[in-house]
Amino acid sequence: MFIGVDVGGTCTDAVLLDKGGVRATAKVTTREDLLASLTEALDQVTVGVGREEIERVNLSTTLITNLVAEKKYDPVGLLLIPGPGVDARGMDWPGPTCFIPGAVDYRGREIAPLDTAAVAKAAADFRDRGITRVAVAGKFSNRNNGHELLARDTILGVVPEMKVELGHQVAGALNFPRRAVTAFLTAATRERYRFFAEAVLEALARRQITCPVFVLKADGSTCPLAYSVQQPVETLFSGPAASTLGVQALTPPGETVVVVDIGGTTTDLALILSGQPLLSARGARVDGQLTQVRALAVHSVPIGGDSVVDRVGREIIIYSERAGPAFCLGGPLPTPTDALRVLGLTLQGDPDRAAEAMNALGSVLGCDAPATARKVVDLFVDSVAREINLMFAEWHKEPAYNVWEIMQKHQGRNRGLQTVVGVGGGAAGLTARVAAAVGCYPVMPPYAPVANAIGAAVARPTMQVSLRADTQAGYYLVLEEGLRDALPAGATEEDVMGIARLWLAKRAARYGLTVGPEVEVTRREVFNMIRDWRTVGRLYDLSIQTSRGILAYIGTGGAVHD
Amino acid sequence: MTKTGLVFFPAFDWAIAPDHPEREERLLYTRDQIFEEGIMDLPQVVEMAPRLCREHEIRRTHFCVPDVASQTTEAHLIAAGAAQVLGDEIVAGRLQNGFAVVRPPGHHAMRVVHGNRGFCNINNEAVLVEYLRRRHGIRRVAIVDTDVHHGDGTQDIFYHDPDVLFISFHQDGRTIYPGTGFTHELGGPNAFGRTLNIPLPPGTTDESMLFVLDNLILPVLADFAPELVVNSAGQDNHYSDPLGEMLITARGYATLTSRLRPHLAVLEGGYAVESALPYVNLGIILALAGLDFDQVREADYPRTFYEDPARRPRLEKMVADLLQIWRMKDRMDLGAVFGHEEFYRREKSVYYDTDGIEEKQVETVRVCRECPGFLNIDSRAVHPDGRPVNVLALSVPLAACNRCRTLAYDAYAAARANAASYHHIHLQDKSTDTFLAFDVAGNRETVSEG
Repeated sequence: MFIGVDVGGTCTDAVLLDKGGVRATAKVTTREDLLASLTEALDQVTVGVGREEIERVNLSTTLITNLVAEKKYDPVGLLLIPGPGVDARGMDWPGPTCFIPGAVDYRGREIAPLDTAAVAKAAADFRDRGITRVAVAGKFSNRNNGHELLARDTILGVVPEMKVELGHQVAGALNFPRRAVTAFLTAATRERYRFFAEAVLEALARRQITCPVFVLKADGSTCPLAYSVQQPVETLFSGPAASTLGVQALTPPGETVVVVDIGGTTTDLALILSGQPLLSARGARVDGQLTQVRALAVHSVPIGGDSVVDRVGREIIIYSERAGPAFCLGGPLPTPTDALRVLGLTLQGDPDRAAEAMNALGSVLGCDAPATARKVVDLFVDSVAREINLMFAEWHKEPAYNVWEIMQKHQGRNRGLQTVVGVGGGAAGLTARVAAAVGCYPVMPPYAPVANAIGAAVARPTMQVSLRADTQAGYYLVLEEGLRDALPAGATEEDVMGIARLWLAKRAARYGLTVGPEVEVTRREVFNMIRDWRTVGRLYDLSIQTSRGILAYIGTGGAVHD
Repeated sequence: MTKTGLVFFPAFDWAIAPDHPEREERLLYTRDQIFEEGIMDLPQVVEMAPRLCREHEIRRTHFCVPDVASQTTEAHLIAAGAAQVLGDEIVAGRLQNGFAVVRPPGHHAMRVVHGNRGFCNINNEAVLVEYLRRRHGIRRVAIVDTDVHHGDGTQDIFYHDPDVLFISFHQDGRTIYPGTGFTHELGGPNAFGRTLNIPLPPGTTDESMLFVLDNLILPVLADFAPELVVNSAGQDNHYSDPLGEMLITARGYATLTSRLRPHLAVLEGGYAVESALPYVNLGIILALAGLDFDQVREADYPRTFYEDPARRPRLEKMVADLLQIWRMKDRMDLGAVFGHEEFYRREKSVYYDTDGIEEKQVETVRVCRECPGFLNIDSRAVHPDGRPVNVLALSVPLAACNRCRTLAYDAYAAARANAASYHHIHLQDKSTDTFLAFDVAGNRETVSEG
C-alpha cells in the first residue's frame, strides 16, 4: 500500500492506495502547524491498516514555498564572483551582496584569480552584520568550481561558524543569476526544512511507520525525505506537481491533456504531453525570483473558488485575494463559489446565503442572482481559458537550437489541445465550462478533489546525471556532484556514456535505489572542436536519468509500475 | 517598455562540412556565454522561436538554379525565417529592436544562386527586406554591413534599388575575400549613391571604425531617413578572427551597435568561435537592450592596439569623398557615368568558392524614370565537372511601371519561344508577387503566387 499526503496552502489531503485502487481518502484544513495537519490526515487514512502493509509514504509540502513567499527565512549574504560580462552590480539580488574579483570562462579556464583578500573581508563584514549564512556563486562555476571551493575555505578560515552554500552544488546548469538565487534560497531554508523533516520522521516513527518515506519535488519525482535536506528548494512548488501527477494517474497512459487545478485562491495549469508532464525550460520562478530548480511548467492564475468578487462601477471584478471561505460557507464576501452554488453547479454551502451574495453584487446592475452568478462564472472561465491558450502558445513558441527539433515542431504545429482535466475543489462546477471555452472535451476524473494526494502517492524517485566531458582539456564534470575528474585521452561517446551510467548508479545507490538497464537520455550534445581545419577534441554534454513515470494508474486493475 | 527580441538559432546539427569554419560548434560558446549570463531572463529581452521561411518568400529575392529546394537546407529556411519573425514584431511595434543570432549566414548570396559562395546560399537580410516591403508596406530600408568581408551579395541584390541604402565597411578587397567593395562601387544608374563602400586597411582599430561610423555612416543614415535599419552583424573584424586581419574589440562592436541603433541585427560571419563570438554577441545584445556593456571583455583583456597615425589622413579623405558623393548623388550628370542608352549593361564574373562554380553574368537594367527599372540577367555557369548551366533571369521591381513590366514579360515569352541558349528561364515579378520558372529540357513551367 502507498500513502500520499499533500500539505497544501488551504487543505491537507491524504490517500491510501492499494493495488491500483483508492482505499481511503482524507481532507483536513491546513493549520499553522504543518506537521499537525500532516499527521491528522495521515492518521485518518491509516485507521485499521496494518503498519507492515504500508510500503511507502510520499509527502508533498508547501513548507518551503511558504517560507519563501513570506520571507520567513534567515538572513543570507551573497558572495558573487561575476567576472566580465553583464554588469552584476546593476541587477537585483535577494540579499546583501558582495562582488569579488576573479573569473572563469565557458570552458572552465581561469581568466583571473580569485581575490581571496576580498573574500576574507566580505566574510568579516557579513559576520559583523550578524549574518550567519553565505551563498557563494561564480559565473561558470558549473564548469570550474575552484573559485567557489576556495571562497568557502577562505570564509571558514575567517568565520569558522559561517554556514556556506555553493552555487555549483545546487545549480549545475548554465545561468549564473539563477544559480546565485538558488544557492541563496538553499542557504535561507535548509535549517528550517531540516527541523521539519526530522519532526516528520519522528512523528512517523511514533506511529510505527517504518517504511521508506519520500518527499515530492517540483519536477514530479520524489527523493528520500532524509536526503531532501541537501536540496530543500527542490521541494518548492511540489503542490502543482502533485495534482499534475494525480491527473496522470487518473487518465489513460499516453494522453495529451491540460490539467486545470482549481483551488481556493489559485488555479494552476499544467500540460501533459503524450503522457509526460511538461518541464519548464529554465527552472521554477519563486515569488518573482528565478531559480534553477527543475520544475514542471505550471502556470498559476491568481483566482480560485474563494477569490473575492466585487463590483467597481458597473464592472464585476474577481480579485486575486481571499478574505476567507465563500459567503455561502460562512465567509465575509461574495466569491465564485457562491456563483456556482446559485447556479446549482456545486451543492456545498447555504443556497440562501449564496443568493444573498449574488444579489448584493448584481442588484445595482439590475441583475437577479442567477444572472449575476452567470456573469461571475463567465468572467472566471474567460480568465482561465485565456491563460490556457497563452500557455499552449508559449509552449509552441519555446525556442529550439537544432534543425531537427524545429522541424519536429513545425510538422506538429497543428496538433492542438483536446482534453481538459479538472481537479481541485472548484473543478466540479467549472471544468465543463472551461473546456468548452477552449474547444476541448472536459474530463472530471474520479477522486478529482484528492488528485493532488494521489499524485503524491504515485510519484517515484527519478535520478539524473548531467555529464560534461572535454577531451581536449582532458577532464569531465558531473554537474549534480560538483565533481571534476580526469578524462582518458581519446574518450569516445560510448566511454563518456559509460561514465555517466556509472555515476547514475552511484548516486541512485546513495538514495537506496537501483538503476535498471533502461536509462533515458534527455540531452545529448557532441561537438567536434575544430581549430585550423583540424579536429583537436570533442565536447560531450549528456544528461541521463532513470525513467520518469508514476507507480500506478488508478483504475487499471492494480497494474503497478516500479 | 518595448523589448529587444532575440532569435538564437545556432543550428547545432548543421555544418557545410565537418571541418569547415561554418560548423556545428560555431555558436556553442556564444550559447554558453549568453545562457550563463541569464540574458534570456533579463526584463529587457525576449527570446523568440524562429519559423521556416517559405519557398515563395525566397523566390521574391533570389533566382535559385534550378530551384529553391536544391539551394537550401532546412537550416537556411530557419535562419531566414528567424529574421522574418523579428521583422514582423519590430514593424508592428511590439519589439524595440532585435538580433537574429543565426546560422547559416547569407550576405555573399547574390540575386542569382548557382551554389554556395562565401559560406552563403540565401541572403537572410535581402529576403527579409523583400518580405517586409510586400507584407508590411515598408519602403525605405538601410542595410549596414559590418562584416570583415564585403557584403557583395547584398550589394548585388540592391545595386539598382533606389529605396535600399547599402553601406559596407570591410577589410580592403585587395587583401581578403571576395575582392570587391571599393569606393567606386556606388550603385546603378537608377540607384546611384545608394551603395557605399568603405574599404579599410588591415589593422584598423576601434577608433578608426568609429570615426567612419560617426562621420560617414550616421550622417548618411540621418539624411536617407530609412524606415528600418538592418545591420549585417558579421563579427570577423575582431582582432582574434582567423580569417580577417582587423583589430576591432567586442566593446568596439558594442559601441558601434549602440550608436548605429539598428532595428534588426543579423549575424553574418565571425569565426573566432571561442575568443571573439561569445563576447561580441554579448556586447551587441547588451547594446541593443540599452544595457551597460562596459564589463564585456575578452579573456586576454586588457589589450591595446596601436594604429599608425600616418594612416588617418587617407581615411579622412575617403570619408570626406564618399560624403561628398552622397550629398551630390542626385545632382550629378549620371549620363556621364553610365552613358545615355535606354539600357545599362554590366558584366560580372562570380566565383562560388565553396562549390567551385564559375559564373559569367551580363546584367542589363532599363534606365527608367518611372520606376527602378526591370532587370535582365544572362547567367552562364560552369560547374566543376564542366557541366554548363545557362539561365535567363528577369526581375520586375515592386514599384514597376507598365512599360518595364511589359518588356520583362515580352523577354520571358521570347526566350521561351527560342529557348535553345538557356536551360532555365525565370521571371520574378515583384509587382504582382508572381514568379515563373521555365525548365527548358522538361518543357515545364512552374508558377508561384503569393
